[in-house]
Amino acid sequence: MDQPSSFGDQLAALLPRLRRFAHALSWNSTDADDLTQATIERALRSSGQWQHGTRLDSWCYRIMRNLWIDTARASARKAAREAPEEDGVRVSEDPREAMDAAVDLKRIMVAMAQLPDEQREVVALILIEGFGYREVSEMLGLPIGTVSSRLVRGRTALLAMVGEQ
Amino acid sequence: MIDDDKFFAWLDGELEPVEAAEMEAAVAADPKLARLAEEHRALAAKLKQTFDPIASVPVPDLLQATLRPSADVVDFVAAKRGRPMRALPQWTTIAATLVVGIFLGTMVPQLSGEPVAVQDGKLYAASSLDQALDTQLASAPQGNVRIGLTFRDGSGKICRSFSAPAGTGLACRSGNAWRLKGLFAAREDQGSQYRMAGTDPDLAALVDSTMVGEPLDAAAEKAELERNWR
Repeated sequence: MDQPSSFGDQLAALLPRLRRFAHALSWNSTDADDLTQATIERALRSSGQWQHGTRLDSWCYRIMRNLWIDTARASARKAAREAPEEDGVRVSEDPREAMDAAVDLKRIMVAMAQLPDEQREVVALILIEGFGYREVSEMLGLPIGTVSSRLVRGRTALLAMVGEQ
Repeated sequence: MIDDDKFFAWLDGELEPVEAAEMEAAVAADPKLARLAEEHRALAAKLKQTFDPIASVPVPDLLQATLRPSADVVDFVAAKRGRPMRALPQWTTIAATLVVGIFLGTMVPQLSGEPVAVQDGKLYAASSLDQALDTQLASAPQGNVRIGLTFRDGSGKICRSFSAPAGTGLACRSGNAWRLKGLFAAREDQGSQYRMAGTDPDLAALVDSTMVGEPLDAAAEKAELERNWR
């Protein structure tokens, strides 16, 4: 029988991955961390709904994705449209500052931000987070063919934007 | 011409062994396909290379704090949807008044001019705080004030929550000024980190008791800015 603290420990272990997913969904680093926080809060409040024996990570990713759709998507979309060329003045901790500033990495992020939301989430879950097609199909409640075709369109658009170099 | 979905399913290791072997042979026999496979492998590697570091750097304390057992987590948007409004405890306002001195003391060196002015015994945002409330959108933080939620109170006035290194607060429109409804100092152990609205139960309680309806979305926020928060 799991104690509440072990649920929290498991969430804590997932936090870096959830944060990575949030940053793939949302260009704006502040929005991404707010989304991560809202996901953790929701997961804590809804812990009774998580079924033991099922994957906690998929459950949390689904919460994050739904929250993103509910509340953050409008502002994320706006932020993507107004994506700054350079960082400008950042007031939150931006993990990307710790990254290699190579130009093509930045181009990848800009390209991701320009993908339609439904393609971006599938690209992020499969190509970045490493979930399988079936797992994503169950997570998003979509037929596997839809997941597959969104992934094809998303990665093809990304390649066109980023180039093959 | 091969099936796109199948080609990429092969690339992602999603095909059954027999189909995978067929696709592998087809790709090996077609230089164009082989090149496409290489380009997409490189793209996938770049995606990982771009986003993986986010999962490797330490998670900010503010996020970690959400998981601490003592954290009093209040999601005021969800909370408002789910239950009736609760009354603002009297002590919230009293506590807010008490922290103003600390807030001012710690905030002044970081801003040009005092961020709070007293007029007729009422507190108003001033200088850079006033400017931030007037001109900033939640999605585009500038300087050292961040805007959180924008919403209307029971009398139809626009209210905006904000955070600064020294703490968080809520201000509502009053004529052409922003009257402060509450200020909450950051805890000492938070240093210069920003408090996020969701982790600040004091601010959450105040927002909860002030907000009528839902917070404005980004488009509505921008529209209100253009109308000067009338």
